[in-house]
Amino acid sequence: MKKKQLIKKATPYLFISPWVIGFLLFTAGPLLLSLIMSFFNWPIIGDSSFIGMGNYVEMFTQDSQFWKSMVLTLKYAAIFVPLNLGIALFLAMLITQPIRGVKVFRTIFYLPAVVSGVAISILWKWILNGDYGILNYLLSLIGIEGPKWLVDPAWALFAVILASAFGVGTMMLIFYTDIKNIPIELYEAASLDGASPARQFFSITLPIITPTILFNVITSMVSAFQQLTLVMLLTGGGPLKSTYFYGMFVYDNAFKHRRLGYASANAWIMFIIILLLTSLVFKSSSAWVYYGTEVKTAKGGKKK
Amino acid sequence: MKKVMGMVLVVGLLAATLLSGCGNNKQNGTDSGNKGEEDSKVKIRFASWDNAEDLDTQQKLVDDFNASQDNIEVSLEAYGDDYDTKISAGMGSKDAPDVMYMWNYPAYHEGLESLDSYIDKEGSDFKKNYYDALWAYNSIDDSVYGIPVGFTTHCLFYNKDLFDQAGIEYPTADWTWDDLKAAAAAITEKCDGAKGFSYQIKADPYDYEMYLWSNGSGYIDADGNLEGSINSDKSVEVFEFFQEMQKEGIAVATEGGGTDEMRSAKTAMYIYGSWSIGTLKEDGLNFGVVEIPAFASSGQDSVSILSSSGLSISKDSKHKEAAWEFVKYWTGEELNKARIEYELPVLNSVVDSEKLMDDEYKAPFYSMLEQSSGYTPTSFVIDQWSVLGDNLELSFERIFNPSTLEDVKTVLDEVAAE
Repeated sequence: MKKKQLIKKATPYLFISPWVIGFLLFTAGPLLLSLIMSFFNWPIIGDSSFIGMGNYVEMFTQDSQFWKSMVLTLKYAAIFVPLNLGIALFLAMLITQPIRGVKVFRTIFYLPAVVSGVAISILWKWILNGDYGILNYLLSLIGIEGPKWLVDPAWALFAVILASAFGVGTMMLIFYTDIKNIPIELYEAASLDGASPARQFFSITLPIITPTILFNVITSMVSAFQQLTLVMLLTGGGPLKSTYFYGMFVYDNAFKHRRLGYASANAWIMFIIILLLTSLVFKSSSAWVYYGTEVKTAKGGKKK
Repeated sequence: MKKVMGMVLVVGLLAATLLSGCGNNKQNGTDSGNKGEEDSKVKIRFASWDNAEDLDTQQKLVDDFNASQDNIEVSLEAYGDDYDTKISAGMGSKDAPDVMYMWNYPAYHEGLESLDSYIDKEGSDFKKNYYDALWAYNSIDDSVYGIPVGFTTHCLFYNKDLFDQAGIEYPTADWTWDDLKAAAAAITEKCDGAKGFSYQIKADPYDYEMYLWSNGSGYIDADGNLEGSINSDKSVEVFEFFQEMQKEGIAVATEGGGTDEMRSAKTAMYIYGSWSIGTLKEDGLNFGVVEIPAFASSGQDSVSILSSSGLSISKDSKHKEAAWEFVKYWTGEELNKARIEYELPVLNSVVDSEKLMDDEYKAPFYSMLEQSSGYTPTSFVIDQWSVLGDNLELSFERIFNPSTLEDVKTVLDEVAAE
């Protein structure tokens, strides 16, 4: 009897054990190791020595590049998140329109998101080339002399933001499915009452998809902070370090300057910052996110 | 019964998943794991940074070696562009390949085996056959860590067609930078759409030191100080000279190495290593190669930086003797000749036998090699080169980026102050 009971209880754990073991070995384990490493001076080749909070102190007090990269990445995230959200929402609204051939557009809009990050970087490198790039050629057709996108420090950040907009397909798709799920009766009732399409959008669509907006804000914020591939391949952090995002800063510390301990400390600080910002967003979400299962009380109620 | 079957299935799946994970780990290490005990062959891993056609050639040469050897089998690992990262990772986990291409001795020498004793065993003629200047670039603190396998110096490439079009004489070995500037100005004027000279915006600080050497200065002085050396008048003169050419519109600062601009005839001259000879020849470009001009006021010949690669043995290798055999093969005469299309041979005997000093494209590189002995790059001397190199690269960008073109003396003073 006891043996059967044991097997019964153990079976679900056995089913999830491959994933759990994988998680422990490949995610949790290395995470823990990097935390430990961050308290060491750990060169790639040679001996490591324990220095306690030394790395963290150095980062905040002696490394000016740390602050520069951090500010730059925050700036990038501040522009990237709303911009991408806006584009994704706009495109999602477009493909919910019942017009002929909308399925084709759905595919076209989503396609860039499927292309590998490396391929996108190389593609954009050529599009943005100052002398032979397509972008400047198109601009010249309407009479504007395009800047050298990847050479001029004033424009390079904008070029990176432009190139990163390619990944907007996933968010668009998530918005699209959510919008499609809104019961059509709501729209019918609103138009009966005389609401214009714009009013319908702001009063019906937007409030109902706020949970999805929350999700997209958080995921795009996290990926903005971790941006590395695009920057590494498109600008290499330049020109003049104007696109030297935090991800590149960590990578260079690890592999160029060979300081694994310091780089681990960098990574953990980034983790803490993303954690803080994410929890801030979550905290604020109670004010603007509307879940369909909530019941409006007299005291509560949504702020417009 | 059903429950037992279910359990067996679950356990079976579990075991399969776990074991497949383990199995992969074993295969990632050397192949010598299981097979080595049965065969008597010693397995050696050899890492190369080449790709495409060069890699195919290398694979064939490795296969030839394996066929000729009873006891040693070499497997070629192609690391491509990720070479540094993979080697670092390998050394960090004490699992670096037995034999590897090496150029960044300052960074990696702690993971490499010192080859002095192996060289001595080969007799005194072994070392003499290699060009003398190369040994300094493959050693740290007088101990040799790599056998030179290839090198390049830098030379001036020029487009003969553009020169003909402008009606100017081709550059010669005794040109000065003033001669070059005059020619560049004439070409820019007479040839539509082309500039006379080009150089990189993101100049590699390692390479750039050669211009300072050519003018009698350097990044650091004999005691390792930046102040007074990198911002000396002679150093400032070099940078200002290049910057002037850009300001006057006779030179273009390129985003990349400059070969693309050369190939599309957007520039008439540029300075580069021997890497582009093959490409330019294939394009059918009518070009010539000559030594780098000298600075008129310096009173000396121009000097070039050496980019020398060597073959090193990992300190953690378990088959060092076998590795040494392979190193000798790969750096020997036969292979110097086999690689002649893309790597300049390092052996005196091969240069003589292949009459390379008569080859109009290759001879200037050897002249520059002879003009350049006795100089040690700062990267070999300074511990914190990765940080200094970064600072230098950023400073050069500030000076050469067409959007900034900052004042040279100010920028260099800042570098010296750090």
